[in-house]
Amino acid sequence: MSFAPAGLTAAVALASVISGSAPVEALEVQVTTVRATTHGPSDARLTELRPRLRRLVGYRSFRVVQEQRRACAWKSHEPFELPGGLQLYVVPKSLREEAVSMHVRLVNGPRDLVDTDVQLQNRGVMLFGVEQDRDGGDGALIIMLKAEAE
Amino acid sequence: MTCADVTELLDAFVDAELPPPMLLAVARHAAACPSCDTEVRQLSALHEAIDRTGRAAAETLDLSRVWPAVEARIDRVEARRGFAQRLRSAPVWGAALAMAAGALFWMRGTEPDSGHVVARAAAARPNHAVIERIDSNGPFELRRDRKSGTTLIMVSAADTTGGVP
Repeated sequence: MSFAPAGLTAAVALASVISGSAPVEALEVQVTTVRATTHGPSDARLTELRPRLRRLVGYRSFRVVQEQRRACAWKSHEPFELPGGLQLYVVPKSLREEAVSMHVRLVNGPRDLVDTDVQLQNRGVMLFGVEQDRDGGDGALIIMLKAEAE
Repeated sequence: MTCADVTELLDAFVDAELPPPMLLAVARHAAACPSCDTEVRQLSALHEAIDRTGRAAAETLDLSRVWPAVEARIDRVEARRGFAQRLRSAPVWGAALAMAAGALFWMRGTEPDSGHVVARAAAARPNHAVIERIDSNGPFELRRDRKSGTTLIMVSAADTTGGVP
């Protein structure tokens, strides 16, 4: 059995830190699922967001149906189970220039609804909208993804 | 009304820019004068052809990219205007500090690269997102809120591909 010299190990560790390939910042990912419908009341806590949601999504009523918040490891595969049988997979890759780089997949059973690589402003929010059968009045599910690196 | 008068008034006649008595006079002359009648008809046909061509060209114009470009330009102008307003409202010592900092950077030969510029622009929008790649098994729509920079990727839960991956 052979052992790598301690100097070599230290050099590799130092190089990885200097090159930024091993992010050390703590990361928290927050996934909030909101049901958007044409009619009905909206959650009071969404009051501030409501105009923006209305502009983007086009519905009038917004209610939070699920909230998940968890600390995530960089470069790990983080699954989030969502209402309606949806799954959101997030792989946080790096923090650079105050933007969190992520691989995000939104899956509905065997179907990839969205598979994207995105750089999101740290502490910023991006949205995924899943339109249900509009004629049936089911509205849409809005998935709000927030990444916060400290 | 002579043929020379009609020739001189022909354009205004076809464009209906003449006063009613003059319009009537030119029309009466053209009705009795084959050569002036021919000139009136030819010029009218030419005007109609130009009008049709213009309309057809306008209908084929793709304006779908115009608004995003205008929106982006508005954002840049608003950002510049906001910066200028902040600059005007800053106290004199703030300007002096900024100049000193600028001089320091200049003397050190430090030039911000494009990545820094992009990052500073992004910082103005709390939810700014850059989509580097996007795939979907169905149709999707990318929407962005101009004020906050919030990005929405809209998809349909219904399988519109007929089950074909």
